[in-house]
This record gives sequence, C-alpha cells and structure tokens, in this order.
Amino acid sequence: MKPRLGYLGFALLVVAVVVAPSISSHYRTFQLAFVGIYLIALIGLNILTGLTGQISLGHGAFMGVGAYTTTILVVDHGWRDLWTLPVAGLVAGLAGLAFGVPATRFAGPYLALATFAIPLSFIGLLKRFPHFTGGTGGRQLPSLHSQFGIKANSSVWIYWVSWLVALAMLLVAYALVRGRFGRALRSVRDSEIAATANGISTAGIKAIAFGISAFYCGLAGGLFAMAVTFVNPDTFPIDLSILLLVGVVLGGAGSLGGMLFGALFVEFIRITWGPALLDVFSRIHHVDARAAGSSLVVYGVVLLLVLYAAPAGAAGLVRRIVAAASSFKPKRRSAPTVDQT
Amino acid sequence: MKRTFLLIVAALVASAAVVMTAGATSSATPGVTAKSILLEGTFPLSGPASGYAPIAPSMAAYFAYANAKGGVNGRKINFKYDDDGYNPATTVQLTHKYVEQDHAFALVGGLGTEPQTAVRQYLNDQKVPQLFVSTGATTFDRDWSTYPWTLGWQPDYEAEGAIYGKYIVKNLPTAKLGVLYQNDDYGNDYLRGLNAGLTQQHATQIVSTQPFDLTVGIAAVQAAVLKLRASGADTFVIFGTPTPTIQAYIIATKIGWTPAHVITNSVAATDTFLTIATKQGSTITNGTLTVNYLLDPSNPIYNKAAGMKLYRQIMAKYDPKGNANDGLNLYGAAKAWNVVQVLKAAGKNLTRAGLMKAARNMNFSAKTKNANPFTLPGVKTFTKGGFQYPISQVTLVRYQNNVFQPLGTLISGRGA
Repeated sequence: MKPRLGYLGFALLVVAVVVAPSISSHYRTFQLAFVGIYLIALIGLNILTGLTGQISLGHGAFMGVGAYTTTILVVDHGWRDLWTLPVAGLVAGLAGLAFGVPATRFAGPYLALATFAIPLSFIGLLKRFPHFTGGTGGRQLPSLHSQFGIKANSSVWIYWVSWLVALAMLLVAYALVRGRFGRALRSVRDSEIAATANGISTAGIKAIAFGISAFYCGLAGGLFAMAVTFVNPDTFPIDLSILLLVGVVLGGAGSLGGMLFGALFVEFIRITWGPALLDVFSRIHHVDARAAGSSLVVYGVVLLLVLYAAPAGAAGLVRRIVAAASSFKPKRRSAPTVDQT
Repeated sequence: MKRTFLLIVAALVASAAVVMTAGATSSATPGVTAKSILLEGTFPLSGPASGYAPIAPSMAAYFAYANAKGGVNGRKINFKYDDDGYNPATTVQLTHKYVEQDHAFALVGGLGTEPQTAVRQYLNDQKVPQLFVSTGATTFDRDWSTYPWTLGWQPDYEAEGAIYGKYIVKNLPTAKLGVLYQNDDYGNDYLRGLNAGLTQQHATQIVSTQPFDLTVGIAAVQAAVLKLRASGADTFVIFGTPTPTIQAYIIATKIGWTPAHVITNSVAATDTFLTIATKQGSTITNGTLTVNYLLDPSNPIYNKAAGMKLYRQIMAKYDPKGNANDGLNLYGAAKAWNVVQVLKAAGKNLTRAGLMKAARNMNFSAKTKNANPFTLPGVKTFTKGGFQYPISQVTLVRYQNNVFQPLGTLISGRGA
C-alpha cells in the first residue's frame, strides 16, 4: 500500500471512530468498545499467524494474562487502571516470548497443537493459586467510570480508551510490518529455507513474533478486564482462543485492515448475530435452536460459508470485488496473491 | 491495495450507521407499559453448565400460563432470556443490553454464582433489580445491605450444610464423619455451615476433613477419599459439584470403602447424577442422604399434589419439548411463580423500588394460604428486615431404589 493512501484510509477510520458513539446507543457504544479491544488482539495474532505463518490456538490465554495483571494491580495494589495497561502488555509479552522460544522448534500443525496447551495450563494455574487469582470464583474490579474529571457515560469512556489504544497500536503494527522486520516475518512464512539462506534467524524471528503478538493480546486483555469488571477462569475459555483465530482468518490473514472485519465478527457473532440467527433457525420445523451447543453450530456454519465465498477472508473478498470492478482486461482478473500489507 | 483499505474503512462507516439505534423512549418506569412488563435473564444454554438449561424455558412456560390467566395487574409478562455460555464476559455484555438497550424492568433468575457476581455491582449501580438469582451462594442473601437490588431465592449452601450438622447431632451423635469438600467458595460455604450445625460440642465428630482441587481432577478426589477411609470414618460427607461427586462415589466403592452413611449436598445428589454413579459401579449410592424443598416430579408420591398437577399441565401446554420429570423444570416454574407473586405485591403502580420492597417483605406460607404450590408442603418463602433468605426450609430425603423418599418434617437452616 502506498503510504499516502494508507494514511488516508487511517484518517477515514479515525473519522468513523469519532462519529460512531454519537450515532450509537450507549449499549452499541459498549459493544464497539469490545470491537476495539478485539481489534488490538487480532492485530497481534495477525502478526504471528498472518505474517509469520505460525498458527496459535492459545492467544486467548495471553488476553487472560493481561486481564489478570490489570485486575491484580488495580485491586491489590491500588493502581489506576489505565496505568496497568503497559504492564499487562509486557507481562503477557514476556509470557509469549517464554513460550515462543521453545515452541519455535515445532512447525505447522505441531505448533498449533502445542499452543493448545497455553489456555489449558493457564486455566489450571488460575485455579491452582486462588489466593492470588481468586480461583474459580474470580475477582471483581471496581465499577467502570470516566476519569480525569471527564464526565462521560461509562460505555462511552471505555469506548474512547479502547479505540485510542487500538488506533495507536494499529500505527505501531503498520510501522513494524512495512519495513525490514515485516519482510523478515513474511520470508519466514513463505519459505524458511530461503529466509535462512538470506541470513534471517527463523527461530529468533518466530520467537519475537510470538512475544509481540502476546503483548498485543495482553494489552487487549487489560482493557477487557476494565470493560467486563470481572475475571475468572470461565471468562477466558478455550473458545476465546479459537474465536480469535477465526477472526484473523475471516478478516483475511496477513491484512491489517481486514482485522476490522475480524473484530466486528468476534464481537457481534457471540452477542448479536448468533442469537438472531438462532431465532431464524428456530422457526424452521423440527429444529430445536435451544438445544445445548446450538450456538456453536451457527458459528461453524457461518465460518464454512465465509470460507467458501471468500477463502482469503473479508479483505480478500474486497480485493476480488475491487479487482473485478477496476479491471476489464480478461487476463488480469484477481490473481490469488497474498496481501503484502 | 489502497482501494482495499479505503473500502474497508467505508464498510466500517456503513456498519456504524447500521448499528445506529433510535433513541429510546423514556417512561416513568423502564420496561413497564400499560399492558406489559419486560423481564430478562441470562442462562447457560451452552457450555460447561448447560445441564441447567431447562430452567429458563420452564420459567417462560409458567409466565405464559400466568399471562393466559390474565397476567399481573392487567399487564402481561414478556420474559426474554439469552445464552451466556456460563462466561461472565458474555453475561456482562448481555446485561448491559438488557439495561441500556432493552430497558428491562428487572432481571430475574440469572444463573450461576460467577456470572451473577460479575454483574451484581453494575446492576446495583444502575438500581435495576437482580431478583432470585439461580445460585445458592450465601453472599446473594447475606450481603443484602451492600447490594440492595440483589436477592437470591433457594436455600443457600451454608444453610444446607448447617442442616446436615443438625441432623447428625440429633440422629447420628456417635457417627465418625469423613468430609470431602471442594476447595473453593462453594465447598467452603457448605463446610462452614456443617461446622455451625454441629456446634462446638459435636465438632469432634469430624475425624477427617479432606479438600480436593477441582482442577487436579480425579486424582485429587482419589487421594482425598483414600485418606478418609484411612481415618476410620464411618459416615461419608460429600460437598462437591456433580462430576467430582460422581467420581467420589465410584472411587469409594473401588477402594472397598463402605461407609454406613453417605451425606451429599443437594446440587450433586440428584436422581440423574446418582444414577450415573450407580451405573459406573458405585454400590454406595443407595441410602444417600440429601435435602429437598421442592416437589419431586420423579417421585410418584407427589402425583396427587395440586402443585404437581398444575406443573404437569403447564409443562404439557407451554413447554412440551421439556422433560417434565426433570426437577430443574419444576425449579423454574416455582421460581417464576414467586416472580409473579412479588410483581402482584408491588401493586398496579409498578416501580423498581416497589418490586424490591415486595421482595424484601415476602411471606408466602400455608398459614397465610399463599404458599408456593411447587414447594414441599409447609415450606414458606419469607423475607423481612435483616432476614433475607427467601427459602430456608428443607426436608431431608433418602435415595432408595432410584427415588428420593422424604424423612420426617421440615428443618430450617436459618433462624426463622
């Protein structure tokens, strides 16, 4: 992407972010705050999965690490919640790096299976040290309210906090992936042998990508704890890790802008679209939409449909439409190239 | 590429426009119109606690029945519920939706200790009633002065533990107790109650207390049960959630421990779970002692009770897909009955504060001829002043030949 137009797109996003709360109810604003939070997590996971080609089924746990860091600092040490965010990111980032160093010995599906251990052991650890984490019963944070003398509805407040962080982290990610470092990431994804031949330490790059992605997820987790005002092991189930990966895939792995779609999906499928779809299904004869687990069936169906219609995710679909609309030369139809942003 | 990004942004703007909602109309009391009352709640229809899913539709069934009979003071109840998958983060978002978007009058029956704890402060900040939460955690009753908009319903775990203590003092004064308990708030509530019920004089009857960690799984349960057998206990007391309780039953049989008495908390000692334990080889399920406060649809002795007949009619007409023999459905109907009663008591001029006042001053008993028809005969629903434990009476029941048979009279786990 040419920088100038990238900045224009970013400026438009900023406008959308500024306008959205004034045309949305407080509840929708609260939901959009979660979209911002998930966007941060997805940008992080995209650096690992989309750009470096390493699949992780465990990044929900790094959100959990960030969330617990924020909670413990606020509740036990009296920190202001906003100041805990960098620490939440750092603690999760270090945890990610610590996991990334040995995990880079695995490749492909083996790595995915290894990462599956992260949320499992995270939940186990939470329950193992109840005096620190609150165990199964979890811990409560203070009610959400605006700070620094700003008088705002709590939903609007968390919306601004989340999106300011999200926009800043989007810029940071853009700066990270467009230069030398980004090329190194992509070269590891596309061919480890070629990357090594060019003097890139593939193991080092993978471990660093792990750390950065975990940092993003930890930051998102800290905001998540502020918004939910409660953490316990059930708040960070294995489903969350899977949902994050689904968000990256649906948004379009490798595309920064696509993560917006992913984040919208992650937030709205669970709370809004899923139940609405279930309502529709329940009108079909002999379908018991109330049956346990039926919501999971809906996610599965949606995922399959999207992957059939748009194998490269939402960003890929947009690319195809743009290519089809702008190109009348028959030979230059949307080649299945991998996005370079 | 550049156009891609632009298009994505355009799409975001468009989606922001789509999610735009019209400003809500504000009336004197949110969720109440001349003809309707909006009540909502979250339930685990999927996920680890989806076994409790029948409660919501059976509540809805009772409300449909009440509406058919004319509703409450001329208003029909509109009850909506959603699946939170037992994930507190989802509970929080749905609860914000109920309060800020749907403008529900009150939240009723919300299920689960942790999910309901997660939204308790928020609902109290917003002054929205959080009534009759579906959990026995003592905090929802005990901490009424800190959380004036929150109230539990069923006998709390601590009170239930106390009842076992009292029973032991009276009927098994020489028994040697081996207590297995889950090492969390839930297990500790029960254990604290048991000690209170035993009183200091009988506390020495406990020869061994073994915690187990839910996370460690079956190995922890096994280690604990082995220690209990070695302690020489002759009465096995189990305070756990269903899965480890079933494991404890099976392990005890496997290691050849046949305690003379088994006492199991009511959450885990249901027909369904004890049947599983029996099928997997436990020989000590028969004779299990637990408590109940509701009519039991699986026991034919209640078939002639008016409440049971009404319950089966309601299930047949309004929740035909539900299994009427599952006690959870009766639990839902009984709770919905109570919701209707406090709505009635709150009067024609319905306000949230009025509803809480009615819930804080309940007296539904046989004596006043308005007892909950779905509870056991004699069980009253009572709250007043500093006493905020709606249902605190239970009867002991013994599991014999796949049915729970009631033993004697009602016992109260709390002062009243």
